[in-house]
Amino acid sequence: MLAALAITIGIGTAGAANAADLPRIASINLCTDQLLMTLADPAQILGLSPYARDAARSWDAAKAEKFPLLSGDAEDVLVLQPDIVVSGRYTKRATRELLKDKGLRVAEFDVPRSMDDVKKQIRRMGDLVQHSDRAEAEVARLEAAIARTREVAARKRYRVLALSRRGWVSGSDSLTGALLATVGLDSAARDLGLKLGGYASLEAIVSLKPDFLLLSEGSNFAEDEGRAFLLHPALQRFYPASKRLVLPEKLINCGGPMMSEALDRLALELERVER
Amino acid sequence: MIATTIALAVLVALLALGSLGTGPVKLSPVTVLDALFGGGSDVQQTIVREIRLPRAILGLAIGAILGLSGAALQGLLRNPLASPSLFGAPQSAAFGAVLMIALGWADVRSWALPVAGITMAFTSVFVLLSIAGRSAGLLLLILAGLAISSLAGAATSLVMNLSANPFAALEIAFWLLGSLEDRSFRHVTLALPFITAGAILLMSQRSAFRALSLGEETAQSLGVNVGRLRLLVIVGVALGVGGAVAVTGTIGFIGLIAPHLMRPLIGHDPTRLLVPSALTGSALLLAADIAVRIIPSTTDIKVGVLTSIIGVPFFLYLIVRERRALGGGVA
Repeated sequence: MLAALAITIGIGTAGAANAADLPRIASINLCTDQLLMTLADPAQILGLSPYARDAARSWDAAKAEKFPLLSGDAEDVLVLQPDIVVSGRYTKRATRELLKDKGLRVAEFDVPRSMDDVKKQIRRMGDLVQHSDRAEAEVARLEAAIARTREVAARKRYRVLALSRRGWVSGSDSLTGALLATVGLDSAARDLGLKLGGYASLEAIVSLKPDFLLLSEGSNFAEDEGRAFLLHPALQRFYPASKRLVLPEKLINCGGPMMSEALDRLALELERVER
Repeated sequence: MIATTIALAVLVALLALGSLGTGPVKLSPVTVLDALFGGGSDVQQTIVREIRLPRAILGLAIGAILGLSGAALQGLLRNPLASPSLFGAPQSAAFGAVLMIALGWADVRSWALPVAGITMAFTSVFVLLSIAGRSAGLLLLILAGLAISSLAGAATSLVMNLSANPFAALEIAFWLLGSLEDRSFRHVTLALPFITAGAILLMSQRSAFRALSLGEETAQSLGVNVGRLRLLVIVGVALGVGGAVAVTGTIGFIGLIAPHLMRPLIGHDPTRLLVPSALTGSALLLAADIAVRIIPSTTDIKVGVLTSIIGVPFFLYLIVRERRALGGGVA
């Protein structure tokens, strides 16, 4: 029995495992969806979270079309009886508890706060799906992207304020803050005294005078007052489009394979606003 | 009365200046005045003229129209408990505006919001007065108002749930609390025409309220067309409240309180109450909006929350005072 197991693992790492032997996995979180789609074999993916096909929030929404969508609740997961359920660390607590009670293995992924966290999560998912070679390749891709973007950002030391709807500022101890710090940009959030993040008033932002704003959307349409904040004339005066770095939400809302693309996009945006 | 009005106008002017001087960034009164007239640094000018000035203008105008609407409704119905918020008008206007936000069809800074708000405010007051009939008792009006606000509230929640915007629930929940923060001149442009039109309409009917206070029949014999008056007042209140709610969310109870504060000073003549009530409404909203910026808190307190916290006990006090009339209304 042990020998048989050892052989399976041996073959698995060699990349020639029989698909039937690899763990079958269901994801109930948007961020684990992305990791799973990147690292697992299609046959291993039993289902993805309800937002997996949402083009605005899901990085690989196109690929998600190929897989079934789950409700995100416990019922359909129980019916599928996956070997592993991957989920976020904080959302859907009741669902996770229920699944654990029913004897399913639930692997929880924390919210990453640094590039090291991101690498750890990629490797962890690689181990879960038994494709650690793919995880290593993703980590290498991420490191290459960091190096590329750092080169662009190093030309001048900019102060950037990562700003979201209603004036939410991502702090230095958040994924966005980590992204800025990794490539050598100064986060203006520190001058506001925000570590994890918090709300800043329009007045405070215009007095703070960061070089650029980092936003998740560049459109001029305010679908609600939260977006209207970012389009306030006082902010537009000092930060027209040429002073706004735009990183789409789907590149920055999770830590995972999309980080490489986020970094490359950031480099492109920096080049655009420098022009 | 003229002395009172002048004193109120001075108070409103001072509060408006106070509003310009209050905010998260500390600016001295001299700096504020300097920046207001084009001096000071770029940032100071922007803070005073583009962030604080629209806020002060909206506070002044919306407070005034709420106070005026309250006084007009109390005059029309000869009823001291009448006010837009007890009739469900702001709640209904909010439903109209929320529908626009939740559907995501229109920019929140477009005309769609005030138009939807005004339409729903008109519908609600119209329905309420149709249900209540011509000489409705207090109890009937309040019950009908309660029913309409509950319906508007439920419809609003339903729309929130059905929205495709994942932030809709949070955004709308915040918005419903009523706030003047971070409004711009775009919002002023949206609300002011409707507020002005509503105010002109209500003021144009001012002498009719005095005639009406002598009783409906006497008013008819004095040449007041009561049916027409009712319709004009509803339109005026709907324009004002709908326009206001569309840019600030629901700010309640100012319309109820303002006329009551003025009665001991001005007397019970509904015609003479209109202008002082409007000024009192402005003063109340400006003061409340200054208070929410001064009270220390981690996130902003919403001005609508503050007006309700002050307004509801006042409403209870009025109910206690009117207990006999309310008790008699059951029969």
